[in-house]
Amino acid sequence: MFISFVVWWYGRGWQQIMRSFSVRTKMVAGNFSMFQLLRTLFAPWKRIITFPGRSLEDRLKAAADNAFSRAVGFVVRLIVLIAGLISLALVALFSLVEIIVWPLLPFAIPGFIIAGFVL
Amino acid sequence: MNNSPIDFSSSRYRSARYSKLIGHSGFIGLVSLGTICVIAAIALITLVHMKQIAGILAALALICYLPAIWWKQYLSVLPSTGASLTERLNIALLTKLSPKMPLNPQSVWQALKDHWQAIFFTNHLLLADELVTASLSTDPSILIEALTLASSLAEEHHTDTIEVGFVIAGLFMTDSNMQQLLAKQRGHAEDFKSIADWLGRNLGETTHMSTKTGGIGRDWAFGFTPLLDKLGRNVSLSVSGRGGTFTWLTKSQGVQAIETAFANHATAIALVGPTGVGKTSHIYALAQAMINGISPPSLRYHQIISLNATDITAVASGRGQLEQLMISLVNEAGRAGHIILFLDNAQLFLTEDAGSVNASQILFSIIEARAVPLILALTPQDFQNLKTTNAGLAGMLTPVMLAEMPENDIMRILEDNASRLEYRFNVLIPYEALREAYRLSGRYNQDEAYPGRAIKLLEQAVNHAEQGIISRLSVQHAVEQMYGVKASVAAPVEVDELLHLEDHIHERMINQSHAVSVVANSLRRARAGVTNPRRPIGSFLFLGPTGVGKTELAKAIAATYFRDENNMIRLDMTEYQRPDDVQRLLDSGSGEHSSLLLKVRQQPFSVVLLDEVEKAHPDILNLLLQMLDEGQLTDTTGRPASFKDCVIIATSNAGAETIRDRISQGQDLADFAKAFSDELIASGQFKPELINRFDELVLFRPLNPDELAQVVSLMLKDVNRTLAQQNISVELTPEAINKIVAAGNDPRLGARPMRRMLQRTVEDTVAKLILEGKVRPGDHVRLDETSLQL
Repeated sequence: MFISFVVWWYGRGWQQIMRSFSVRTKMVAGNFSMFQLLRTLFAPWKRIITFPGRSLEDRLKAAADNAFSRAVGFVVRLIVLIAGLISLALVALFSLVEIIVWPLLPFAIPGFIIAGFVL
Repeated sequence: MNNSPIDFSSSRYRSARYSKLIGHSGFIGLVSLGTICVIAAIALITLVHMKQIAGILAALALICYLPAIWWKQYLSVLPSTGASLTERLNIALLTKLSPKMPLNPQSVWQALKDHWQAIFFTNHLLLADELVTASLSTDPSILIEALTLASSLAEEHHTDTIEVGFVIAGLFMTDSNMQQLLAKQRGHAEDFKSIADWLGRNLGETTHMSTKTGGIGRDWAFGFTPLLDKLGRNVSLSVSGRGGTFTWLTKSQGVQAIETAFANHATAIALVGPTGVGKTSHIYALAQAMINGISPPSLRYHQIISLNATDITAVASGRGQLEQLMISLVNEAGRAGHIILFLDNAQLFLTEDAGSVNASQILFSIIEARAVPLILALTPQDFQNLKTTNAGLAGMLTPVMLAEMPENDIMRILEDNASRLEYRFNVLIPYEALREAYRLSGRYNQDEAYPGRAIKLLEQAVNHAEQGIISRLSVQHAVEQMYGVKASVAAPVEVDELLHLEDHIHERMINQSHAVSVVANSLRRARAGVTNPRRPIGSFLFLGPTGVGKTELAKAIAATYFRDENNMIRLDMTEYQRPDDVQRLLDSGSGEHSSLLLKVRQQPFSVVLLDEVEKAHPDILNLLLQMLDEGQLTDTTGRPASFKDCVIIATSNAGAETIRDRISQGQDLADFAKAFSDELIASGQFKPELINRFDELVLFRPLNPDELAQVVSLMLKDVNRTLAQQNISVELTPEAINKIVAAGNDPRLGARPMRRMLQRTVEDTVAKLILEGKVRPGDHVRLDETSLQL
């Protein structure tokens, strides 16, 4: 049983941890619609746009309105993108730690005992 | 070399044993103990600085956590690790097997019979597990065959692991005893495979659910739709909330045709199919494909909003208001940029009837301006009407035709719907009920197409479930309630009774043994399934003089085969002698409420008695040919009515004199039947194609005085049955009976005058005695020949 455990821990178990890194990053990117938001970063917010009239004043007003809508859209999307990137970074960091710590965990058993007596 | 299909020395088998050893409770125990150790270690180190013990406790915690992780991430699921059987078998099976036990179909079944997937099989096939155990073989070689089959089932369902259900299916499908057991339960051999596929789909639904739903910012590049949210139904959001309900349809030809049409820049699609064929379901499937991001990129994350004409008319009453509202809805959808409008029952948007919105002109403008993608659901008839009334609009629609699916696909849809109903109403729907729903809905609901009509019937059958089971009988009761037909007599008479049909008929009929035996043999053949199921159960031409028992035999068949004498539809064909009588016979029910087709729809399990058939108009006789050949007739509106559950009896007096002469010459009926039918054809009384369509030509001979005396005795039983209410009984001496026979005997009229004679003599005499007070309740009256006044 012990050998089976060890074989799994340093074989499939460790591989699984590495695979979960890519699954998690894809999930975070998907949940924050990162690719979609990047593609539409400068699009007007919820398609709220003003159609330009004939007069110069109307045209300028429409341009200003539309620029504002795009700015709102950009800000909201940027905030979500930043939040997504932070989440991605955290996930990546957590996964990296997990990948490094995983093979060391069994050694922590004697490590804790020794540390208890030595420190 | 070891012949066992399972490699008990493999690491996967060992892992399965470890998994069982730890188990779920062991996992909980390890996690709990580990957590206690962690808490204790922290407490010790922070409160009393006992580092040594804290270190030991931390190590202990890890000793608990590590195997817990192992169990949770690997042992509890034990994913398949290779191509061999042992590497692919489900953990539930591996943990139940051991090298010490005999490995054969029976032992594997006993190991697995309590697993939910095994119960799924036995429940849906109504198989008792003791019977399954007794039926399954103990031959180990069959087990290898069964596991190989299970492996190919797993591959069919794109899963590496051989699930318990596939193993059960393999065991059942490879064992001939199991097929016999299923046949006894009225199941079909292919039911095992169907159940395995049903189970496989259920397992696939839970493991292959899409997670690509677009995320938080999916709709931010699209506009707001407040009016559509208020007046429409967002199909996409309702589908995404329901999970993978329509997954099976997302790859269907219909959905792909719609996707292709939109990819080819179609703006408006007419989804054309008969009611019940699944137009709305296809739209739900399309919505699911789009919201799950598996449709073509141009449609990805688009949403379908369904508009209902009734809801729109409820909000805006005036015509101007309606038009304005429609324009606002379309503008909003167009501005949003990701909306496809779906007009279900689109004819309601194209007519001016109550609850309708005539938006033809607006729709025309929308499509012309390519303002918003549209899908209009129409029946073929509605689409045809649109082509006639508004060819311009019809020409702008890209038609996608939905045809009725093949039986296998319909059964698959019924299975998925059964799962939904079982979950929702906490009932069990055995496979026999699904087959019955398919069969009966096809027979009695001609207004809708499959699968809609079968689903509707199955849903209705929920109300007729008994002890939580929707049986074949529940479906039959639902049919009776929905369509007003007697479906539950589909199994009209028990086999034992059928074997003694002659005796049952003779209880109410005197002699005519030849005729009775011909009919009984034919009905037995039909029941045994050796005749064509697409034709009526039986069809007979009764030939003979008046009053010899032709009608009585028809009644006896109704009473014995269909359990009630009233299960008879009787038509006097002398009333159908003109060409326009065809219309009367085929009336759909709107005009002539007693048309043959209406009656047979209401009472499909009947004897159809066509009296004096030779007198009907030739056009009607031609229809009769169709009825006998195809087992159905089509009414004036184009709806077929089935005669497949009927016994058709046509009677005729044609050639009565010939029969009488030959019998008087001492000839036997069976000897001259063939020559007699030739004579009828030669004399032009019957066309050969009509005579040849009947299963049997049944000749009736005239009754002799002894038989007439027996008829009188039978009729007297009827009189006594009536008098029994007053507790009075009547008896006739043999001499009295002979006197009645002698007085009423007329060779031309057979037994017909006997009833009149009995009325005139016995009933009148008894009535007088009752009125004079000479006979009281409890009395028995014995009448001799002197008591009868003729």
